[in-house]
Amino acid sequence: MALPSHLQTGTPNPPAAERRTPVYALVGNPNCGKSTLFNALTGLKQKVGNYPGVTVEKKTGTAWSQHGQPLTVIDLPGTYSLAARSPDEAVTRDVLLGRRADTAQPDRILCIVDATNLERNLYLVHQVLDLGRPVIVVLNMMDLAVAAGLRIRAARMEQTLGVPVIPCEAVNGKGLIELTLAMSRPDLPLSRHAWDVPAAIAPAVAELQASLHENDRRAPLIARAEALLLLTDQDSVRVAGSTPLSARTTEILQSWRDRWTATNTDWAGTLVNSRYEAITRLCAGLVEDDGTAVGPSVSDRIDAVVTHRRWGWLVLVVVMAALFLSIFTLAQYPMDWIAAGTDALANGVKHHMAEGDLRNLITDGAIAGVGSVVTFLPQILILFFFIGLLENTGYMARAAFIMDRLMSRVGLNGKSFIPLLSSHACAIPGIMATRTIEDPKDRLVTILVAPFMSCSARLPVYLLMIAALVPNGAVPLATKVGLMLLMYSLGAGGAFFFAWLFKRTLLKGEPPMMIMELPPYRLPGLKDVALHMVQRAGIFLKRAGTVILGISIVLWFLTAYPKGPAGATPAQQIAQSYAGMAGHALEPVIRPLGFDWQIGIGLISSFAAREVFVSSMGVVFNAQTSDEDTTPLRDALRQARWPDGRALFTPLVCLTLMIFYVFALQCMSTIAVVRRETNSWRWPLFQLIYQTGTAWGVCFVVYQTGRALGF
Amino acid sequence: MTPEVQTLTALALVALAAIWLVLSLLAKRRRPGCGGNCGCATDELKAKLRR
Repeated sequence: MALPSHLQTGTPNPPAAERRTPVYALVGNPNCGKSTLFNALTGLKQKVGNYPGVTVEKKTGTAWSQHGQPLTVIDLPGTYSLAARSPDEAVTRDVLLGRRADTAQPDRILCIVDATNLERNLYLVHQVLDLGRPVIVVLNMMDLAVAAGLRIRAARMEQTLGVPVIPCEAVNGKGLIELTLAMSRPDLPLSRHAWDVPAAIAPAVAELQASLHENDRRAPLIARAEALLLLTDQDSVRVAGSTPLSARTTEILQSWRDRWTATNTDWAGTLVNSRYEAITRLCAGLVEDDGTAVGPSVSDRIDAVVTHRRWGWLVLVVVMAALFLSIFTLAQYPMDWIAAGTDALANGVKHHMAEGDLRNLITDGAIAGVGSVVTFLPQILILFFFIGLLENTGYMARAAFIMDRLMSRVGLNGKSFIPLLSSHACAIPGIMATRTIEDPKDRLVTILVAPFMSCSARLPVYLLMIAALVPNGAVPLATKVGLMLLMYSLGAGGAFFFAWLFKRTLLKGEPPMMIMELPPYRLPGLKDVALHMVQRAGIFLKRAGTVILGISIVLWFLTAYPKGPAGATPAQQIAQSYAGMAGHALEPVIRPLGFDWQIGIGLISSFAAREVFVSSMGVVFNAQTSDEDTTPLRDALRQARWPDGRALFTPLVCLTLMIFYVFALQCMSTIAVVRRETNSWRWPLFQLIYQTGTAWGVCFVVYQTGRALGF
Repeated sequence: MTPEVQTLTALALVALAAIWLVLSLLAKRRRPGCGGNCGCATDELKAKLRR
């Protein structure tokens, strides 16, 4: 796209920036399409979703200029202002200001603007222009703006702001060529200040600017922008990896604050109001509303039902039930195929290899262990397909809105819902998503309860137990779906209960108000959903082929050695093996829950990851079957007995085991992430103890009550 | 393959798996925690950004 002449005479970048790969930072309000644009520019497959807070950490990729030169692009978490209020916003602020030790300051900035919400988005644009860097403003979602009857005068905006303005529809790929051409320009103009700082504040800005330049080694323009931010955000949110301010700058800042406090001057309010006035002037004449969009929009009409006080809950339950119904029905055939494939593989090895340890390791260890977990791949895929659909359509934000009413009663706000919801896929991204929560206590409470939400690693355990509990065809599908809903509800209930408890004891605090933007509904991008699903499948299979395979091989050894006396049955062999010894040592603790030493082996090994329980059961029980046949795991479990002949996996024991996995923190990766996010071993250890204690206590009550009632 | 060779091979595989598990547990993880699923920067890109 040929840019107007006034834009082509700007000050060229410093020569240093031309010598190396230019670094572009993508910034914008939450949910304005940054990650979609990032993926479109870089060809990467970063997660995108139609709700705020999907990106909580900076991500990098490479785009290509029109001449084939590489351009590094950093996707930053969304923020409404550079005055950070939460850790994810602090990452954006610190990268732009060059405060991150691990990231060079971006040479150029792509400021993404939601065209349907121009005035609100311009606040951030205004702050970015203060940085004095080459800036390109991308007017994204132009199609939605047109549909809403808005006409944005991009050319006039370009003249007013003094930087290139590119209309774009990132999701459809429109405007990307024009954007690439603009990004390829070596002579992008530097942005300029679009407003005058109020006279009462100007001396403080000048003094701070000088100190930041001299003592903190900031470039003059960046120093001015940072001085303005220091006066508005009070710099309260700091994140690991950012360089602290010098003592001199901190001293000057404090002295000005003390002076204004003494004279009762609202310096932050004055600055913010002054900037808003400048934006209002800027906006005049940029947007025309043709008045075609009258009355409630389609999104509004859907929201009238979906966010309704009563109907909203009904919709949520129906959506969840549909998800579980699909998991049970659609996945059945592919699951059977995978199970048949692994059985055929194991039987093939048995028929082609002579009896011996290597053959047993391959069939009873590797194939039984990995195969029993891989069987659940179709169900995992369906789970992520549904989650992807819900995220892409915008329903997730509505679910957060509905849950806010319930969550406010336990002292959490709706912002905790996205991390809790993400934890249904995996607790690790869920815990990372708590970076969007401003209040440190609320954030910690959310981190402490997030692992209660039933993650995808629990799914194989639930499904195996349901299969062992209710033979196919004997119990209606509704019962299976009901059991799954019960497990997911128990996890959510546990999370809410402990959040309530922590907010009244360890981490007291007022329940904050939630302000969350409800994005318009969009047709789901099936490509994005499919890509996300395939990525998750890759992660699942990689895990099965590495960690689970390794553990299965070691577990096989622990069940096969030391060798028992000649003539010992497979069951006797496992009972006197190393794994058997560990299981027997644990049995006194778990016997009140109805679990024997064999289940104990699964509980110990699944501390590495929950799904390892399934592979462990595969190894332990497959090793006990006859040599010439492979029994499906669920049948092997149904045949398992206590020494006195009673069935081991009774419906009550299966239910108790599922409940154990709802509450127990059986995941080393989660512990590592909690340690990183809280910067302490205290909280992950506390979490491990209280969750395991809760799991034992609840299981004890359930099992003993069930026994007393005759189950 | 004789039973003795099978046993030796199986024990060697077990030892390899155990060593690999221990090393991967103790090694400083390149992408701690996120499992590579959060899209964090690769070492190559981080090095490029530092220049």
